[in-house]
Amino acid sequence: MLRKALHAGIIGLLINGLIGSVPALSGQEKDNPYTTGQDIQSGEQLFGRNCSRCHGLEAGGGERGPTLRAGEFQHASTDAGLFAVISDGIPNTEMVGVGRNRSEQSVWQLVAYLRSLNSEVRVEVAGNPSIGEELYGGKGDCSSCHMIDAEGGRHGPDLSTIGDRRSPDELLSDLLTPNARVQQRWWTMRAVHRDGTEVQGLRMNEGTYSLRILDAEDNLWSFLKRDLRQSERTETSSMPAYGESFTSGELEDLVAYLYGLSRGIR
Amino acid sequence: MKYYAVFTLFALLFPVSLESQDSRQRNADTNQPAPSFSLITNERLLNSDAEPQNWLMYSGNYFSQRYSGLDQINNENAAELEMQWAFQLRALDRAETTPVVVDGVMYVTESPSNVIALDAKTGSQYWRYNHNLPEDLNFCCGRNNRGIAVLGDKLYMSTLDAHLISLDAKTGSVLWDVEVADEAAGYSKTAAPLVVGDKIITGIAGGEFGIRGFVDAYDAQNGKRLWRLYTIPGPEHPDNKSWSGDSWRTGGSPTWMTGSYDPELNLVYWGTGNPGPDWNGDVRLGDNLYSDAVLAINPDTGELKWYFQFTPHDIHDWDSTQIPILADSEFGGQSRKLMLWPNRNAFFYVLDRETGEFLLGKPYARQTWAKGLDEKGRPIRIPGTSPSVEGTTVSPSIGGGTNWFSPSYSPRTDLLYVMAYDGETTYYIREDEYVAGERFTGGGGVTPLPAAKYASAVRAISPQTGDLEWEYPVQPRSSAGVLSTAGDLVFSGTIDGFFFALDGNTGEERWHINLGSRVHAGPMSYMVDGRQYVAIAAGNVLFTFAVKE
Repeated sequence: MLRKALHAGIIGLLINGLIGSVPALSGQEKDNPYTTGQDIQSGEQLFGRNCSRCHGLEAGGGERGPTLRAGEFQHASTDAGLFAVISDGIPNTEMVGVGRNRSEQSVWQLVAYLRSLNSEVRVEVAGNPSIGEELYGGKGDCSSCHMIDAEGGRHGPDLSTIGDRRSPDELLSDLLTPNARVQQRWWTMRAVHRDGTEVQGLRMNEGTYSLRILDAEDNLWSFLKRDLRQSERTETSSMPAYGESFTSGELEDLVAYLYGLSRGIR
Repeated sequence: MKYYAVFTLFALLFPVSLESQDSRQRNADTNQPAPSFSLITNERLLNSDAEPQNWLMYSGNYFSQRYSGLDQINNENAAELEMQWAFQLRALDRAETTPVVVDGVMYVTESPSNVIALDAKTGSQYWRYNHNLPEDLNFCCGRNNRGIAVLGDKLYMSTLDAHLISLDAKTGSVLWDVEVADEAAGYSKTAAPLVVGDKIITGIAGGEFGIRGFVDAYDAQNGKRLWRLYTIPGPEHPDNKSWSGDSWRTGGSPTWMTGSYDPELNLVYWGTGNPGPDWNGDVRLGDNLYSDAVLAINPDTGELKWYFQFTPHDIHDWDSTQIPILADSEFGGQSRKLMLWPNRNAFFYVLDRETGEFLLGKPYARQTWAKGLDEKGRPIRIPGTSPSVEGTTVSPSIGGGTNWFSPSYSPRTDLLYVMAYDGETTYYIREDEYVAGERFTGGGGVTPLPAAKYASAVRAISPQTGDLEWEYPVQPRSSAGVLSTAGDLVFSGTIDGFFFALDGNTGEERWHINLGSRVHAGPMSYMVDGRQYVAIAAGNVLFTFAVKE
């Protein structure tokens, strides 16, 4: 599961279209011998010194390197794989290794720190996931916007493995205050073409010259900005807050269902 | 203008330059085959504006104006620009190179420290030089190389392992290779050197590794070091007191870009980078001279004639390593020898380059850290803008109002063009311990809002007033350099792969094209066989454009 996050972290350091050329890492499994709280703390200090310039001070992403807290890595799934990437870097990219001037212990402590940010520790939840699943497809109408295992709508994040990326508390917070944390991928846009055509929907992408929209009927639109009479961007979520329409018990059940959407569990 | 008068004087004094220019011109006129490349003399470098078909140094000329005297591509025909050829660089890093063109031969550098010589008309290769590097290297911000310098029939290039090398311009053979500093201690080199007389002047990178910065001069013939000017004075100098305790020993102040040269004043100008550790100023109290400054240096001796410090005691990593643009223009009702400097700290400065006198300073990009500049040009800081343990959000961002990518000045429009960024960063402070060869930064930063909340713009600024004449917004942002031309066009690019041409007088867009990957380099222009080209690296490909025939 950590594979995607490291991918997310490194993909931005690679040049588009050439990701497939990165050599595969050693498949040799090896457990991290340095995983105590002290090791994680040392890893955090090492990260600040060696990695934060690109990946942000707390691995949340910076101007040169994306977040390493997304829950998954691409270029390594095992501790040994993470060790290799951190130690050796990724050839022909800006991701450089720290191995030469660092002891093995230090590199393992960096692995421990990254693992701690993307903890796989499962916690107990109070709700009933079966009832939650019914609420998801019924009263909550979540599937009209979200996809799970290729079923559902396209106007919200795919939730197939959401339990790997969000804790129960975070999921509850998402349901109660969906506007608290809206990634720009989920902003919406309204555009009026000079011929009068009006399109509203998800803001797929936007640049100096053009913008792309997925409308409510799932049509893809691409406009040159010079052809638009008007355009408006909405930076809030199109998802409703569920605090009033759901009881606390229903929210617990829905959280239990969502938290169970984990690659490890299924 | 005086600037042209100087070059006219050189042209008269050195007729060899004009003769070689004539022979190449005859070739273009008669369409007869003729050999490419001819010796680059000091006279030709001093007189580079007289041969606009060539691009003889990183920033185009000694005044670093990144201005091309060619006007075949102009506001009337820019919409007819089309791609002529492309050259795929082997390395995967984003290219930051500016090619040099000498009589139909183009020299382009490739990450990490390679050079390829191409036929500038077709993109076909003459030779390639691949520099061997140690397996593991310490460097800050990418395996970059930004370009070469040329003198005689020799090329000069910085390498990532902190060497300076000389290559044969016709074959790529190594003529000499000297270590400038110890790469294991965090020193590296990425910028094009500057040729002045018989010397190769060059800087050093490593400001995030607790280095002690310097500017060096080497003998062009044999690579022997002739002088070194430390950008942090030693204890024998009174300015050393601007560093508390022993902090000067690890104070950074690197010189990781290329400088400029005024032949009449015989002064080289070089920008210096951040003091180290970057974000923890508590361990290096004082102004931290000469970090974040411009140094005026006698190229014969390495003597510092004057300095101007843009950001005393910097705590946000706002290096002043921008390219110093020199211009002779009106200021205060008289013709002045000016230096124009849109700084990473988001202020635009005009200095007298003879004395270093501060003439003018105004914000050109979003900034929240200073109330303004005092009469000497010293920033008046706003309290509460220092990095903190819990984080302090300040504009500009770590990347700055601008950065290393070149601005441009057109003597025709008398405007300074810069790619500006209106961003912000939440800055943190941390305790850090210096260990040789390891990063020594004392904190860091994160971008607090989604990237689409910020934007860049090409801004045209008046040197007389510091006021904005026009701007061309770029979304989401850009880290591309700017070229201006005698066709009154301004070229630049975007982070999502667009390359565009604007009217230099109004900012109105004339043309754009999607090149498919980030434009992270500076454009340049040249002419072969009577046809003007504009070249730009995007992603890992060098593209050239000309008007449809």
